[in-house]
Amino acid sequence: MMEHAATLDVEDVGAQQAEAGARAELLGESEFQDLYRLHARPLWAYLYRLTGNTADADDLLQESFCRMLGAPLATRDDGQLRAYLFRVATNAATDLWRRGGRSRRREEPLTDESAGAAPGREDAALKQDMARTFRDLKPQERMLLWLAHVEGSEHREIAAALGLKAASVPVMLFRARRKLAGLLRKKGYGPGERP
Amino acid sequence: MTHRVCSEEPDILVAAASGRALSASLAAHLASCPSCREQAEAVTFVRGLAETPDAPHQLPDPAVIWWKAQLLRRWQAERAASAPIERMRWIELAAGLASLAVFLVWQWRGLVNLVARAIPASVAAASAAPQAVSPMALVLVACGTASVGAMVLAALHKRLGRAPY
Repeated sequence: MMEHAATLDVEDVGAQQAEAGARAELLGESEFQDLYRLHARPLWAYLYRLTGNTADADDLLQESFCRMLGAPLATRDDGQLRAYLFRVATNAATDLWRRGGRSRRREEPLTDESAGAAPGREDAALKQDMARTFRDLKPQERMLLWLAHVEGSEHREIAAALGLKAASVPVMLFRARRKLAGLLRKKGYGPGERP
Repeated sequence: MTHRVCSEEPDILVAAASGRALSASLAAHLASCPSCREQAEAVTFVRGLAETPDAPHQLPDPAVIWWKAQLLRRWQAERAASAPIERMRWIELAAGLASLAVFLVWQWRGLVNLVARAIPASVAAASAAPQAVSPMALVLVACGTASVGAMVLAALHKRLGRAPY
């Protein structure tokens, strides 16, 4: 999925919008449908890994697309729109956590299906365990790792999405990776033991 | 806390993220560097998790999202249009309160005398200094004026605060 990495971050999209002025337009319905087909599934996967809850992931997905549809966009570039969408989704997820635990649903228990594994397959338990290990990280660490290593976002894009200084992103990523490696070791997934 | 990165780490992370085989020199480094090994391991894990197929979950209907976005946009436009009216309501309320205060200061003596004359003689006689302004008159003037003013302002505020649609 590295090919989706946007070369321009959301602030650039905003700056372009300001420059474009009247050229910035709202998405049309057919454009939106195309965009949804292209990005909804990976965005949902990201949100699901962040929240651990299908209902929250659905809500955040809807909210992200609604926020995007409410703002005029100066660009129609898929990479830039994808970066924008992931930033909006990250903000929406952060808002959800800030609103506090009362309004937030609990993380769903992992089943073979929710872990993405076919029931009965021998690797089902492993996949469940992988998902569970990722959930053991803090939300911000999950965001960092996913954006950096799945979305292939640049450090400045991650910084913009998470409201961090660009200089702190490499350090935080390093720590998140080290923590994850520690969790993997604790669960017995050493280099020689992993499939 | 100082963050020291192994010089080979960026190349190793790129290789781990892309699933590419490591060059001989990088593989040798990886074997001898525990830090790079754990960093690469974490990246490989996250990539593996992302490649795990998602649960068969029905995504929200895009038509519903489109409809919802249109509705939200209309509400936002309405709110933006009514924002100056909303601001004016508060300005009117502040102006009303200020006018009331000015009126009270300006007409205080007259109001007090007016109320003092209206108080029954028996009540006025009970006062220690009949010629002076009765404290009860002061309280009555203040309460009466404030109540009337508040009622007028509340009525105005409510009337002006109605949605213009």
